[in-house]
Amino acid sequence: MTVESSQGPVVYTTAIDPAPAAPLAAPAIELINAARWYGNVVAVNDLTFSLGVGVTGLLGPNGAGKTTLLHMLAGFLAPSAGTVHVLGRSPFSDPSVYRQIGLVPERESVYPFLSGLDYVRFNAKLQGLKNADQAARNAIHLVGLEDAMERPIGTYSKGMRQRVKVAGALVHDPQVLLLDEPFNGMDPRQRLAMMDLLTQMAASGRTILFSSHILEEVERIGNDILVMVAGRLAASGDFRAIRALMTDRPHTITIRSSDDRRLAGALMADPTIFGVDLGKDGLSVRTAHLSAFRRLIAGASRSAGVRLFEVVSGDESLESVFDYLVRR
Amino acid sequence: MMFTRSLSAIPLIVQVTLRQLLGRRRTILLVLLAAVPVLLALVFRAANSTDIPSFATGVLDAVAVTLLLPIVAVLFGTAAFGAEVEDGTILYLLAKPISRWAIVAAKFIGAVGVTALLTILSVLVAGAIVLGTGGEAGAEATRAFMVAMLVGSVCYVSVFLTLSLFTRRALLIGLVYVLVWEGALSTLLPGIANLSIRQFALGVASAFWQMPDEARLTPSTALPLAIIVVVAALALATWRLRRFELAGSGD
Repeated sequence: MTVESSQGPVVYTTAIDPAPAAPLAAPAIELINAARWYGNVVAVNDLTFSLGVGVTGLLGPNGAGKTTLLHMLAGFLAPSAGTVHVLGRSPFSDPSVYRQIGLVPERESVYPFLSGLDYVRFNAKLQGLKNADQAARNAIHLVGLEDAMERPIGTYSKGMRQRVKVAGALVHDPQVLLLDEPFNGMDPRQRLAMMDLLTQMAASGRTILFSSHILEEVERIGNDILVMVAGRLAASGDFRAIRALMTDRPHTITIRSSDDRRLAGALMADPTIFGVDLGKDGLSVRTAHLSAFRRLIAGASRSAGVRLFEVVSGDESLESVFDYLVRR
Repeated sequence: MMFTRSLSAIPLIVQVTLRQLLGRRRTILLVLLAAVPVLLALVFRAANSTDIPSFATGVLDAVAVTLLLPIVAVLFGTAAFGAEVEDGTILYLLAKPISRWAIVAAKFIGAVGVTALLTILSVLVAGAIVLGTGGEAGAEATRAFMVAMLVGSVCYVSVFLTLSLFTRRALLIGLVYVLVWEGALSTLLPGIANLSIRQFALGVASAFWQMPDEARLTPSTALPLAIIVVVAALALATWRLRRFELAGSGD
């Protein structure tokens, strides 16, 4: 896989050792028809996919089942049906798998009375690392928390707390790293640095799966993505192909202008437009190609001599994108 | 490998557990409670009443064993796991390659430690204030009640700690058990008194001093019962933790 060179200033210095040379025969993560339900509520249904080395983004709206999936992978939920394998083993009720798994849960709380360094060292010691102190300092360094490592975590900002959680989860250099909404609460600079860190860890042979409900976060580092909607896998594969699916879907755009009727006539001639309605509140236009429409509208209004007051794309929310993917 | 790692994890988790349990509000409340027997001892002393049996029955048994001990134990016992389950930090312990019995053991040691320390100190100070004047008999009575506190701490905490792994209402259920089962019911129905931790504690302690009439079990019955309760509770807690599932949020 390719490593993106970072555009901005590199905030965190990285010193990640390459993973043990032996390549894995089986995929690091493998689900076959995995499902999980709570009583009558199906949280995750019929998931089948496998992941190898690299960063994969797990995208979906809130309530899609992302956390349930991550908890199944981390061994904190037994699948109700199907199989879940991490590094060839079933993670549920087998604590020895945690030697090779790092988990960053979504919930924010970390022992507030421990300092950042104490917390990461605590994790290192529980992992049985021989040089726990050095490992802890390295992990703190990777997430750029040296300046605050002696302070109690109770005084940390949200972003710092996320980073100390990440440091605690990777202190034992796990083969598989699972992160639940890791960028929540980070500022843009920290976010970029964390993305670079994950990308580099993947480049040195780790399997990383992180969840997010924000398209742009996934776009930046996840070459491969899994899209979950309502407990199902709605799409998986290369990010760009899925992005195209998301953008080239039917859009309804509402326009107010100095002369809606005239503009409607001008737009109707274009093949990318497949419907125009003239209403009291303005003109509503349907198109399958949002990007093409953006180019079209400027020229069309100019040549028709119409001034545009407002152009609103109707359903830009991520939820509607997901809805579309499910209905497709 | 797993075994030695688990064993060496215990003191680390105990340390974190102690810092968790000794949060400011809980500690202040419990220290105030532990001061009650001491204050009563001062009242006894001021009234020049140094009658050992009446102090033992009225304060050490009725207040320290019957109220202070179970309340301290239910608060620390249910919080040892409960607080971590509540705020999700339990994941940091569970996502480690250590045996689940070690996590149970560490939580148990931490909660028993603070419960026993606080309750034993309370009895020791109260006893020293009043019973010190009673010579050898007073010292024996104090020692016996300190044993009751130790046995009671171990038993109560094991039960409440296990309870907190099964329900989020462990504190409420624990208090109901103490007040209704051990308090009201066992007074009305003497038969069930044999099935109460309070009786196990008093029974074992009666090996050291002629306890007041409330102690219905002999030491040779009470001790095995206490051991069975503790072992069964801790085994159940370990079993539960092995199959620990995060409460489903649907997400």
